[in-house]
Amino acid sequence: MILLAKIALGFGATVLMAGAYTFREGVLRVDVDESRGRGQHVHVWVPAAIIPMAMHFVPRNQMNHAGYEAGKFMPLVHVVAKELQKYPEAELVEVKDGVKYVHIRTHDGKLMIDAEEPGQTVHVSCPLATIDDVSRELASFAPAS
Amino acid sequence: MVNRTRKLFPAIAFLAASALFAPLHTSAQTSSTASDTSAHGERWLHVRVISSNSKGETVRVNVPLDLAEKVIPAIDHDRLHNGKVRIGCMDCDGVDVRTLFEAVRSAKDGEYVTVQSEDADIKVSKKDGQMYVHVHDKKKSKDSRVEVKMPMKVVEALLSGSKDELDLAAGLHALASQGDVELVSVKDDENTIRVWLDSKNVTD
Repeated sequence: MILLAKIALGFGATVLMAGAYTFREGVLRVDVDESRGRGQHVHVWVPAAIIPMAMHFVPRNQMNHAGYEAGKFMPLVHVVAKELQKYPEAELVEVKDGVKYVHIRTHDGKLMIDAEEPGQTVHVSCPLATIDDVSRELASFAPAS
Repeated sequence: MVNRTRKLFPAIAFLAASALFAPLHTSAQTSSTASDTSAHGERWLHVRVISSNSKGETVRVNVPLDLAEKVIPAIDHDRLHNGKVRIGCMDCDGVDVRTLFEAVRSAKDGEYVTVQSEDADIKVSKKDGQMYVHVHDKKKSKDSRVEVKMPMKVVEALLSGSKDELDLAAGLHALASQGDVELVSVKDDENTIRVWLDSKNVTD
């Protein structure tokens, strides 16, 4: 009975700590809703803390390919993400074109992109620290120029 | 062992609760500090385009100059490298832009170009270290006006690179040292365009 209690306590504390860490790091959120035709609805919520960790489990050849395709842009992404972290609350771009709407801002240390047009809405929210981590990781796989 | 477990439980619970509430505390701090006026010393470049056509197009862009200053040198694409953009026609139609600018810079304040015609009035002048360009287009149904105010130090910084390039990074750096200033203002029957610099992180 005592052993079970210890295991439960250990498990509970681990879950609580992991939950607290995940909550602190934030969540990557992607919502895509299509209301036209057989509209698709994609909702992805991923704890930001696991993204850099998960990248270590991606097969090396896939990371090399990603690095080859996107690596050259990563230093720029890294600088933008790093600098934007200094502006946790900022309205960056807002475009209204009739019924189309795009809004890019930082809120609470996250980059938030909202795009709306008739029949489709896209909302993306990603912690800037995660973008910074991922860009650094991908840049390390870029072919040497 | 049971006692030890019992003693550890409050400590673990406290640690977990502290970690759980840490971001909320940070978030609250962040929210309370966010306001119209940005932190001391921050300079923001704003662009606003408002169209009065049926669609009512609106564009609002707010860029921290500090961010732009650091991001531009990181762009390595086409004609833009190391914060400098290559301009092929700095010697435009036989006019050496750099020499022309040097002449304006070293000259005294005054009006340099004044054109008055049925189609448009154009005026280029210099006053208190600022270069002004004023264009009044009379051809359109409603008067169209373009006002450009460019600090000479910024133009000087832009032209500080080699002969066929503009040093954008240096230009932004020089711009950051300027006070609140409206750089470009365009008004015509359809659009209102403003580009200005201040220390606020929102447009209106």
